[in-house]
Amino acid sequence: TRHRRAKKRGPPAQKRRGVVGQRARGGRGQGCALKQVQLNVTDLALGYRSGEEMIFRYCAGPCRKSETNYDKILSNLVQGKRLPPKDRPAQTCCRPVAFDDDLSFLDDNLIYHTMRKHSARKCACV
Amino acid sequence: MLHHTAKAISKFTITMNVGLSLKGDGASRSVPMDCVKASEQCLREYSCSTKYRTMRQCVAGRESNFSAVTGPEAQGECRSAIEAMKQSPLYRCRCRRGMKKEKNCLRIFWSIFQSLQGNDLLEYSPYEPVNSRLSDIFRLAPIIAGKPPSTKENNCLSAAKACNLNDTCKKYRSAYINPCTSRVSASEVCNKRKCHKALRHFFDKVPTKYSYGMLFCSCPAGDQTACAERRRQTIVPVCSYEDKDKPNCLSLQNTCKANYICRSRLADFLSNCQPEPRSISGCLRENYADCLLSYSGLIGTVMTPNYVRSQGISLSPWCDCSSSGNNKPDCDRFNQFFSDNRCLRNAIQAFGNGTDVGVWQPQPPIEPTEPGLTRTRTRDQNSNSLDTLTDMSRLDLNSDSAFNTCGMQAQKLVSNVSMDTTLCVVSFVKSKQLRGIISLPFLT
Repeated sequence: TRHRRAKKRGPPAQKRRGVVGQRARGGRGQGCALKQVQLNVTDLALGYRSGEEMIFRYCAGPCRKSETNYDKILSNLVQGKRLPPKDRPAQTCCRPVAFDDDLSFLDDNLIYHTMRKHSARKCACV
Repeated sequence: MLHHTAKAISKFTITMNVGLSLKGDGASRSVPMDCVKASEQCLREYSCSTKYRTMRQCVAGRESNFSAVTGPEAQGECRSAIEAMKQSPLYRCRCRRGMKKEKNCLRIFWSIFQSLQGNDLLEYSPYEPVNSRLSDIFRLAPIIAGKPPSTKENNCLSAAKACNLNDTCKKYRSAYINPCTSRVSASEVCNKRKCHKALRHFFDKVPTKYSYGMLFCSCPAGDQTACAERRRQTIVPVCSYEDKDKPNCLSLQNTCKANYICRSRLADFLSNCQPEPRSISGCLRENYADCLLSYSGLIGTVMTPNYVRSQGISLSPWCDCSSSGNNKPDCDRFNQFFSDNRCLRNAIQAFGNGTDVGVWQPQPPIEPTEPGLTRTRTRDQNSNSLDTLTDMSRLDLNSDSAFNTCGMQAQKLVSNVSMDTTLCVVSFVKSKQLRGIISLPFLT
């Protein structure tokens, strides 16, 4: 049940403006949280030039190690160098599990663009 | 949840009337019931449903000149059926934009409207009068309220930003830009039908402060290029507006009338944006918000209008008056209702300026005092020197313009339906009883 509780604690979307600190949820102080920042489309550095602004939501925060048996085993094996040296499987990290709606905008050349899966809606330690 | 409350607040004025209309019959209150509910209610009652069916048979028979219906006995029956229908809530039922069975509702409305012609013909828009105020929109708009739009900043860009920061607006904006910018084949720029449908959804669902912000943003007289062009691009004109050919405006009007939604939206627009040269606001109905709502209701129909020039506010549907033949004056008149409409232009400017038509409301409380000092302010406010008004002082036609237009159009533009007498009743809407009733001479 400890693992089930930990898995469930991926926090839902928060709609706060600006960069905010981590939000503690439940007794264990879950770190992985949804955060947001307001940016110009140009600042996204994808090559678009547009004066429009948007909100970019991302996932950040520490994930407790060994959340699942898989993680426990994995970290043990990595430490014990029991896995092929070229394999370096990643540990759990805070990532989006759902994305925001598409965003459409008009660039400086008056051409419309649509970005999909550009911003997070829900985060979890995976 | 947040989305719902925001939606509820912004649609407060729109849904206010609707909530009242669902209770009881429309006879006592001036708030009408929606036509789908009214017809369901009528069909449940035996007496009403038989009269309703008789009436519909009369209409169908009349249209096809079925001999059995034109006989004297049948005519008496038809007349009594029609008289009975006038007592039912179906007589004055209306519809709401974006309601669930909108097309159905409009179909019922027009079928009744066509049946109940005669001496007491009062032509009006099938949509319930919303009677919202621009000031309500301003109060809720974070951009516009508080600070007047600057002449340096790009207001249209600010409006786009505001839209992107609101979940509803962002979602529906992308929902229409996507089909309007997706190329379907080598010959087709886009899927126009899908684009139009998505555009209608956008203007139906998104709170007006955001949608109007992008559509009616004001651009400074000087630097026209970026701001005005962005405003022109709002509806993705290359897909939703432009076409290979430009039809004649009158034939476009006929095409529009063949579609229930377009026909209704056009009737609504002609009703709410009727200019009145003698009024300071420029509008017969003295309500800028309703005019803007009706205009935005046309977007996504065949009569989709757009800005045509970067200079000033000049709007037009995608049509012209070439090859009009003898109908050229009527064609020009129709075209001018978009391109040279003082009411519409004033409304758009008022939105851009963050002002409103003083305290004009179509349904004023019975007060002796009328604080109309703000009237003159809106009229003469060009301190920001935003979009140039080329003819603020020019009056339309002559003093009886409203009545003249009414009569002329009634004769020329009426198609061959069996109504000879189109009674044009133009009533100044200050009177409570006659609220919402305006003449639409061209409609048959």
